[in-house]
Amino acid sequence: MLRMIHPTLHRYASILLGFALALSAWPAHADTPPGILVVVQAMDDLVSLDPAEGFELSSEQLFGSIYQRLVQADPDDPSVLKPVLAASWVVGSDDRSVTFTLRPNATFANGDPVTADDVIYSLSRAVKLNRSPAFILNELGWNADNVDASLIAVDAQHVRISWPASVSTNFALHILTTTVASIVDKRDVLAHQQNDDQGNRWLRAHSSGSGPFSIRRYVPREALVLDANPRSPGGGPRIKTLIIRNIADAATRRLLLEVGDADIARDLGPDQFTALKGKPGIRIAQFPSATVCYLLFNTTDTSNPALANPALWEAARWLVDYHGLAEGLLQGQFSVHQAFLADGFPGALDDTPYHFDPARARAILAKAGLDHGIDITLDVFNEEPFIDIAQSLQSSFAQAGVRLHLRIEAGAQVYTRLRARTYQAAWLYWIPDYFDAHSTASAFASNPDNGSHTLAWRAGWSMPTLTAETQKAVMISDPAERVRLYQDIQRQVQRESPFVISLQERSQLAMRSNVQGYRQGLDADMVYYDQVTK
Amino acid sequence: MAAHSLFNTSSGIAAPLRAIRNSLLSLTLTLAGLLAITFVMSAFSPIDPALQQVGDHASAATYAQARHALDLDAPLPERFGHYLVRLGHGDLGLSTATGQPVAAELREVFPATFELSTLALLISAITGIGLALLSARWPGGWVDSVIRVISLIGSSVPIFWLGLVSLALFYAHWHWAGGPGRLDDAYEYTIDMPTGLVLIDSWRSGMPGAFDSAIKHMLLPALLLASYVLGSIARLTRTSLLGELHQEYVTLARAKGAGQSWILVHHVLPNCMGPMLTVIALAYTSLLQGAVLTETVFARPGIGRYLTNALFYGDVPAILGATLVLGVAFILINGITDMLVRLLDPRLR
Repeated sequence: MLRMIHPTLHRYASILLGFALALSAWPAHADTPPGILVVVQAMDDLVSLDPAEGFELSSEQLFGSIYQRLVQADPDDPSVLKPVLAASWVVGSDDRSVTFTLRPNATFANGDPVTADDVIYSLSRAVKLNRSPAFILNELGWNADNVDASLIAVDAQHVRISWPASVSTNFALHILTTTVASIVDKRDVLAHQQNDDQGNRWLRAHSSGSGPFSIRRYVPREALVLDANPRSPGGGPRIKTLIIRNIADAATRRLLLEVGDADIARDLGPDQFTALKGKPGIRIAQFPSATVCYLLFNTTDTSNPALANPALWEAARWLVDYHGLAEGLLQGQFSVHQAFLADGFPGALDDTPYHFDPARARAILAKAGLDHGIDITLDVFNEEPFIDIAQSLQSSFAQAGVRLHLRIEAGAQVYTRLRARTYQAAWLYWIPDYFDAHSTASAFASNPDNGSHTLAWRAGWSMPTLTAETQKAVMISDPAERVRLYQDIQRQVQRESPFVISLQERSQLAMRSNVQGYRQGLDADMVYYDQVTK
Repeated sequence: MAAHSLFNTSSGIAAPLRAIRNSLLSLTLTLAGLLAITFVMSAFSPIDPALQQVGDHASAATYAQARHALDLDAPLPERFGHYLVRLGHGDLGLSTATGQPVAAELREVFPATFELSTLALLISAITGIGLALLSARWPGGWVDSVIRVISLIGSSVPIFWLGLVSLALFYAHWHWAGGPGRLDDAYEYTIDMPTGLVLIDSWRSGMPGAFDSAIKHMLLPALLLASYVLGSIARLTRTSLLGELHQEYVTLARAKGAGQSWILVHHVLPNCMGPMLTVIALAYTSLLQGAVLTETVFARPGIGRYLTNALFYGDVPAILGATLVLGVAFILINGITDMLVRLLDPRLR
């Protein structure tokens, strides 16, 4: 027996040992190559890199590096508008038009000059393609029929932009800062057109912009490789290559950063940040984010009349353990915030009148005759931290006899139910589409006749007076007056609506200590890699 | 007489032709059934593909435009008909989640899974048969017990956990293996991948270090996947070997003075080829579709992860395309296995 086993084991052991030695002879991992910045994140949501179409978090975070607009929010103070592809602008006497002078000698990454014709083509193309983010440009009253008449080339360097909607110039300029208003190279895009698609299919995976980076290679769901564009108006970036890798698992992202195979890791959970804190060579950076989390009740659900009872909404405001969630469970990744405008937006309301008080909630429910116990199905995204948050809500609401039954589903399923109003309650988050209060106010505080895309419609909340107030606010030019109006609207939503606005995100990401110059703003598209060095 | 010989000749050709025709018919029917079932199930999915494509904030007009573009406003049988016509032209449609042609995406991901699974299968088949021989040599002894434990680790410990732990140890701590991805960043996006098989493409690239990098990155996922099916290959082969040991020809060989090890390797093992091949084929099919967790943890492209993502996002064209590819792969593997078993086992000829 021993005769037989010995040689076998010996052979196996030698092979294994040889293998191990061969492996250990390979050099240990070095840092990422110089001049290359490697970012690891979850990028499975990315649908399109065409700025007229892409509207997911991942694509929004990238557009700022690839494309430019006439005007953009100042990275250091997003309430200030900065000319980028425009050199300056003059507001028309009618307060419904602006004439832009383009930045002289501005070129796209391929060397083509940026002309008035490119500006007109880009804006008109986005409206006519009519993809997901086109509704933002529709706020200016533009549609496929009237947009061409609203965009006039005075000469190659000057373009006059007007809008039929009754909105202020400042609001219109903010609309033009959004990624859907990015300027593409008309000649290049048309050269790649297939079946009159305005180059849409090609632009989903290629770039034709003037931003600090251009796409070298895009492998869907795997990686995006961007090259520096030294010609970018405003200056090229300081690194040569930016690689964004899609790493679906958060623990693997953390590992890559720790080993030094990644420079920046996004989308890590509280546990990953806790594990990374104090690790040599790693820095955790925190940035403000305009993402606001809220609970929503569907008042149109006739099978559960309690949902339409304002007493339930009021009780729910005292049943969220705001501080337990923000500081305990989510370990500082969120802060308590109870109004729809995120901190950092002009007019944001920062008072927090509600706290966790189950006794008070029980009293409110008892007074309304709802103290016999209520069963509610709560829809939640099947992602962290939403599942943890929902479990906390389940436990805190149970203290007042409100039994939440969690239905944890993929995002697309949750949104399908919301749109069809076949849900009872949902825990959701909101990210503004542009840096103006109207983006958020029109969702929470407006329910016009055909408002199927507003959150108030989805809650079945009818409030004609508030809707009129919201529509009036967007027309006002005086900033102070607008702030006053939006604060009033926020208070009404805070007090009377079927929304329980609870938390605001603090965006955190982990990076190697040698990475300097990364900037990030409140909105999803305010991600800036151009000043990064390492 | 002439007529008779002609009849004989034609019947000699007709039999294999009939077999091929029947196989093709059965293949077509199986695939059509698979597609129909997947199509209907996808149609009743609670996810609205148009909404998934245009996003939550899109206007009603944009939403309607997307529904039309996705053919969602047509009745279900008509949609299935349209799909089959496009399929006949080699068009698998555009993925609703990435906007890219599904056929092109599958050409990228399938070779990656094929390469990883084949490598894992080779490792597990060779090791599994070796372990089974050792177990059958001393059944019930301590060698058998140790092998039982070893072979069950891969199939009983969650592969996701095993993957993370092995990454933490062999990649992060000891730096013995490559990390997530198929190559180091220096090569990953610079070498051309005409075959989609990273070992071959990195070898052909001529870039110094590219092939080493590919091997280093392949090592952990291949071993992990191999351990996942090692248990079933080793255990089922052991059972077949032990079953054969009671046959009369074994007693005869023993009577002639042959040693137990000789008998196992030279007499019993060849007679167990049929069941062994079947087990290996089953393992291969499960590797092709079951690599999803390995692909996720090691951030490698692959059809398992592709299909899971497609299901998660309700991406119907991608679900149908990936199901079709996996279906064809299953049928081919089973067909080839049947043929091999017939060739190797004279009793079945």
